Amino acid sequence: MLEAASPGEAIPSATPAQTSAGDLGAPLYIAWQVTNECDLACLHCIEESGPGKAFRDELSERQAGAFLEQVAAEQVPYMSFSGGEPTLHPRFFEMAGYLCERQTQLKIETNAHGLTAEGCERLRRIGVKAVQVSLDGATRETFNRMRVRGDFDRALQGIAHLRAAGVPVEINYSPTRFNIHEIGLAVDLAYELGAESFYTGRTMYTGNAVKTWHRLAPSEEQYGGFFESLHAKTREYAGRMRVHFHEMGLLEELRYRLHHPAALLIVLPNGLVKLINALPFVCGDLRRQSLKEVWANFQRAWQDPRVGQFVEDLASDPRKTATLHQWVFL
Amino acid sequence: MRLARYVKFREERFGGVLFETRSEKVFALNPTASAIVREIARDGSDESALVARLTDSYNGSRAAIATEVAAFVGDLRSRGLLED
Repeated sequence: MLEAASPGEAIPSATPAQTSAGDLGAPLYIAWQVTNECDLACLHCIEESGPGKAFRDELSERQAGAFLEQVAAEQVPYMSFSGGEPTLHPRFFEMAGYLCERQTQLKIETNAHGLTAEGCERLRRIGVKAVQVSLDGATRETFNRMRVRGDFDRALQGIAHLRAAGVPVEINYSPTRFNIHEIGLAVDLAYELGAESFYTGRTMYTGNAVKTWHRLAPSEEQYGGFFESLHAKTREYAGRMRVHFHEMGLLEELRYRLHHPAALLIVLPNGLVKLINALPFVCGDLRRQSLKEVWANFQRAWQDPRVGQFVEDLASDPRKTATLHQWVFL
Repeated sequence: MRLARYVKFREERFGGVLFETRSEKVFALNPTASAIVREIARDGSDESALVARLTDSYNGSRAAIATEVAAFVGDLRSRGLLED
């Protein structure tokens, strides 16, 4: 035998959340908000992105390059580019190509409005793992209401270009009180469009949603029907399209994460690194620290009593999520 | 035989991890399992060649290694982590 242990017994299955980040030498997943600039101004945007909303101190090309070199050197297996709208970054394709050449699997999260046939062909050649398109509505009416400056037909056109090029497509859907009833149709539409996966969950009270919550917030009764439909659609599309959704409320999830932090770093456009999107805590700055240092800080930061306190405060005041953009440095 | 398209392997102090990026599931590997996956990731080949390489690299009987590799490879296949 190679060793006493049987290898078959050595691979307990686990989700990232169940994998103790403390055991790992580097993150397994980095979600990089490449820029805060966006061509749309969505009612629910958790990042408060929009036209003219790029941070003044976003990573320079040199800083971004140094960051990506470290991602490759640390063999981070999975990364996503989001925003804002990541395709608006002037070096978007070069950065995507750099990572894919070095075997990091890359997902792009986009509104798809700027995806041309040529651009999608380039993404296929680069070898991105998937492009996730935000499609918050099964109809033009609801989509355009949610995605201010957005256009349902342009999003569909972008998806069609992706499919024609052979790029795997995923769909993301944020529910609100005026589109939540369309969830079944939205899953059907995703399948018709050739999506491999469909993602959704509860819309968060943060970012732009703080100002528009009175127009957005679904009732618990609506959420009940929403999740019921999703369970049915999961069964209906089993083996054909994966339907992923988080039924768990934010508080419940954060309490779980306190004890099981995911091996995931959230990197903001300026290189600051958050513990998790739904908390205001910053555990590093990639302009001044190496990825290795930030990873070590990340593991310590989850143990900081202020983190646990914030999560418990959410129990009595769920609207504290309105302050997620007031960063707290740990 | 090779790691499935959406599966990434990384060595760790405790052994290694396999990350299936579509389902975002992580599988922790002990050093023994990691040694096998390292060989598969480095030079995908059939099971008998894999057993031969491991027998050359580690002390142990070929029969015992073959039994363990067969069980482990079967387990990886059943989880969709390997493809031909």
